[in-house]
Amino acid sequence: MATLTLKNVTKRFGKKVVAVSDFSLEVPDREFLVLLGPSGCGKTTTLRMVAGLEEVTDGTILIDEVDVTDLPPRRRDVSMVFQNYAVWPHMTVYDNIAYALKLKRMDKKTIDKTVKEAAGMTKIAELVDRYPSQLSGGQQQRVAVARAIAVKPKLFLMDEPLSNLDAKLRVATRTELKAIHDKTEATTVFVTHDQSEAMSLADRIVIMKDGGIVQIGSPDDVYHRSASLFVADFIGTPPTNFMDVELKVENGDCRLINPHFDFKLKPDHAAKLRNYGKKKLVLGIRPEKILLVGEEDSILAAQCLVSEPQGSHQIIAIELADKIVKIVAPAHPMIESEETVHLSFNQEAIAFFDSESGLRI
Amino acid sequence: MTKTKKKPVSVAKAARTTIFYVFVVGVVVALLLPLYFIVSLSFLSTREAYEYPLPMVPALNTQFKLEYGKRGYLLSVYDRVEGGFETVLDTKELQKMSDYMKYQLATPMTLEDIEQQIAKLEEMQDVVYFTRRRNLLSNYQSFFGVAGSEAVPALIRSLQICALTIIISLSIGGMAGYAFARYAFKGKDLLKFSVLFVRMFPGVAIAIPMIKILVGLNFYDKPIGLSLVYSIGNIALTVWITASIFMGIPESLEEAAQVFGASKARSFLRITLPLALPGLAAAAMYSFLGAWNETVSAIILTQFNPTFAVIVYQTVLGAVGQVNLAAAGGMAMALPAVIFTFFIRRYIRQMWGGVTI
Repeated sequence: MATLTLKNVTKRFGKKVVAVSDFSLEVPDREFLVLLGPSGCGKTTTLRMVAGLEEVTDGTILIDEVDVTDLPPRRRDVSMVFQNYAVWPHMTVYDNIAYALKLKRMDKKTIDKTVKEAAGMTKIAELVDRYPSQLSGGQQQRVAVARAIAVKPKLFLMDEPLSNLDAKLRVATRTELKAIHDKTEATTVFVTHDQSEAMSLADRIVIMKDGGIVQIGSPDDVYHRSASLFVADFIGTPPTNFMDVELKVENGDCRLINPHFDFKLKPDHAAKLRNYGKKKLVLGIRPEKILLVGEEDSILAAQCLVSEPQGSHQIIAIELADKIVKIVAPAHPMIESEETVHLSFNQEAIAFFDSESGLRI
Repeated sequence: MTKTKKKPVSVAKAARTTIFYVFVVGVVVALLLPLYFIVSLSFLSTREAYEYPLPMVPALNTQFKLEYGKRGYLLSVYDRVEGGFETVLDTKELQKMSDYMKYQLATPMTLEDIEQQIAKLEEMQDVVYFTRRRNLLSNYQSFFGVAGSEAVPALIRSLQICALTIIISLSIGGMAGYAFARYAFKGKDLLKFSVLFVRMFPGVAIAIPMIKILVGLNFYDKPIGLSLVYSIGNIALTVWITASIFMGIPESLEEAAQVFGASKARSFLRITLPLALPGLAAAAMYSFLGAWNETVSAIILTQFNPTFAVIVYQTVLGAVGQVNLAAAGGMAMALPAVIFTFFIRRYIRQMWGGVTI
């Protein structure tokens, strides 16, 4: 087991395209770290640099405090699960898993034991004599995972391993991946663009955008304490609702004003915003933090545009200042379309963002 | 009611099916008939080959009739087309009779054998019938015999040229194809198209400079010289075939091998190369057929060491009045290509099936 350190890592393709810029990160032993971001943000490139499949333009990569920046992949003692599984079609499942062990010059008995162990852990023990073309996508994915855990690497790298599976299988497999990680306790770097996958797997999430880090934190951090508009919008389904507001100070009271509402802020928010100085702000609030209340407690009333029942809850969409705002509400009572709803905000959960930089205040 | 309604439908269907099968049979016949013709012709005796109408199959035996003639002995053979005996020879010289049997009738008889038959004739005073087994391979024997000492060495030379052409065009073309498939570089598309430009020039058009260059390299009239010339065109083809094959093999398979402990070279040899085998086999087949069948450049670029194709060409031209011999030469020419294709077809079929990942 091992630690991974990236120091000011930069990757340029050609002269102009910067895929990753000045990326620094430390991954402690046994952590399950997820690199999360939209496509083209440099997360896969970062992973491939750690694996040694992509040359590093600038900076250093250390595994267990050893500089591996210029080492070929085979000398880094890492293993990887690829997006398209990359199981070798001309080898049986057994040979796929055993290949890396043979290259390590293990003796036959040990290889056999290790292969069976890995196949058992990934529940493909009865498939070892088959060829990959005789397996389903999900089974091939298991082979890829078995192959990766069999070598007992210092570092376990996964490049969107679940994205080629269908939705139901994806959710089931991610639970198993987590269980396998708990068993092997291998330091893991996992790349995905699926935020719910990231939330459910990660010890820590690194959110990337345009080749840089936007926020590093636990799933709880990035969800409840999003560092910027981008993160607040990217994490969560439905995403955070944003509203343009104006701060008004009146006889010592702080009020937030919007064409649709006008309410008094609680003291801790008020103090923070007053010190910040700017008047125009962006208010962000999670859909489940907007509350359906009686008319007397409401700060705004709106007509329900559509309501989507989800069984355990319902999602209500309203329109505020040409923007759709979504609200997650209890399943009962059912809200009908065009019904008027009275809303209030859970003030503790409100986040404020700078309208220019997009950063959290 | 339903029957009368159904009937026109089934007639139309029957007509369609009939027309379809007539068409299919027509195509098959059109394809197979010339092939059948040349195979059958290569087994006919010279006499049979010039009969009209031409026999469908070669006779396995020849029936002889021996009588007294004006000049000596009168030899007749049974003619399957006419349905009777036809006199072919009236001579006293037994050697002449034996030669005629061997070369025209492809039914060799020794002088002693002929003498025995004449002795029988003298005993019976009238007429003797006898039957002898035909030598079916006589055309092939005389093709390799007449072309003599030339045909076998030419065959070996041709095989050498083919092997060299496959090695040269597969190693260079395969490497280039890999580069085209895996790497991005400036002018890639233009370069990939430009490799085809070399195929625009007919061999005859650039024969003189080719001779000059080959003489300068000391490769003129040698297998290596011809295989170099053939490789030029074949490399272009190989580049395109192998590039598309390598593109079909995900790079991540190689990368996975590298992550799991293989060097770049080993990951290519152990992972990509076996998967590319069908494509490489197809490219090898094209190279082989190209080099094996090529005649024009071979005529120009060889002098004392012709290739097998040149020998067959000369036989066809030279053997006026011997179509059966030319047919045997043609068959001898076609057979190695057919055998090679037969052995490699497994891989080709795999290629059309695609690389399964």
